[in-house]
Amino acid sequence: MEKISFYEQISRNKRNSFILIAIIFLVLAALGYIIARLNQSYFFIIMIVSIIISISYVLIGYYNSDKIALASVNAKPAPKEYRQYYNSVEGLTLASGLPMPKLYIMENQQINAFATGRDPKNSVICVTTGALERLNKQELEGVLAHELSHISNYDIRFMTLTAILVGMIAIISEIFLRSLWFKGDRKGKGGALLLIIGIAFAIIAPIAVKLVQLAISRKREYAADASAVKFTRYPPGLINALKKIDGDKPIKASKITSSLFISDPLKKNLDNLMSTHPPIKMRIQALKAM
Amino acid sequence: MIPIIWIILIILAAIVLIEFIYYFNKFVILGNRIDNSLAQIDVQLKRRADLVPNLISTVKGYVKHESAMINKVTEARKALLAAKDITSKVKAGNQLQTALKSIFALAEQYPNLKANENFLQLQQELAAIEDKVAYSRQFYNDSILDYNNSVQSFPGNLFAGIYGRKQKEFLKIPEESRILPKVKF
Repeated sequence: MEKISFYEQISRNKRNSFILIAIIFLVLAALGYIIARLNQSYFFIIMIVSIIISISYVLIGYYNSDKIALASVNAKPAPKEYRQYYNSVEGLTLASGLPMPKLYIMENQQINAFATGRDPKNSVICVTTGALERLNKQELEGVLAHELSHISNYDIRFMTLTAILVGMIAIISEIFLRSLWFKGDRKGKGGALLLIIGIAFAIIAPIAVKLVQLAISRKREYAADASAVKFTRYPPGLINALKKIDGDKPIKASKITSSLFISDPLKKNLDNLMSTHPPIKMRIQALKAM
Repeated sequence: MIPIIWIILIILAAIVLIEFIYYFNKFVILGNRIDNSLAQIDVQLKRRADLVPNLISTVKGYVKHESAMINKVTEARKALLAAKDITSKVKAGNQLQTALKSIFALAEQYPNLKANENFLQLQQELAAIEDKVAYSRQFYNDSILDYNNSVQSFPGNLFAGIYGRKQKEFLKIPEESRILPKVKF
């Protein structure tokens, strides 16, 4: 039974990623269409340009979302001196039959980690230096196994695509709106056009952010915790790591990429219904029941 | 008009054909996974054997009167390299690991050896290999479980019979277990 649901999870992630790309493409193309309608004389040129932009946006997003995510948290490739880090991941890839992901680190005192990429062959694991310094071997392996499970069931593809494709729209629209705010007194056709695009973006941006939060279901975290234990056969490792994480202070991370981490780096405890991660206490309980 | 009975027969035949192909591929994929995980155990045991000469030459510089212990390691390494099938390889690997452990225990009495950079690195590397052997054995047995499940459960067992696929044996040699601390909640 468990096997079947695992493969279902993979195909669901692949399908969702495809649907997401299609929707993003359509939204961008529709935006181009609106602009083109307002500028009848250049209709075809604007339409062609907007379709080219939309296609390149989703293609660049698909092939580079991992790099964008890594750059956004200022991560760099892990030096070979982190022997424990490399050895643990190598061991876990043997336990799971996965190819070796690229290893990255980010300078930060908080214990946290995330995985990204588009499939197991093109995958990356990134941990904070805080995690490498403050977790013992078993705890670190628990966290790394959790990230490897996100890789093995293609969560990384859907999660990263959602964060980047949708997130970028939100960022672009925010920048656009801000610039609109400063030159608000334009008149004539151009001004009206900008206003309409501005309003469209103003509607899209918050919806986009909400979509990111909703799409990245909190069930994924429970599932990844469960298969992490299947790899390590040692629940206390991950449990103790989660306990240490629970005692940590929040770090600065953008709203967009926060959904990728093993635990919400922003630590919004009150915002339970809309948060991207289940409460750590619930996850520990679930792990103890195994 | 083609009679409806023919259409039904053709559809049924297509389904049976698809099932035949599906199970053929499934057994091949799962079988290959077993072979591959077996090779991984082999790779790790080989790496362990490769590190031994380096370790011994380091240890010999500090330890003078323990040649029996060192010989034991050399013998175990030879046995591992000579082993043919996986069962004897894993067994020899276990023996080598036990012999290595006594060397590391011995190092406790030689502070200079314990402080040696090269020795420390080898110790860490061999400990990592121990984990990796355990992990690859775990994956090997997991792969066998998956394979056996598909060979034994219905309707896989019918196809397994046709393709001559039989259940495979788990590795039953005592685990060279990863050292896991006991934890109380």
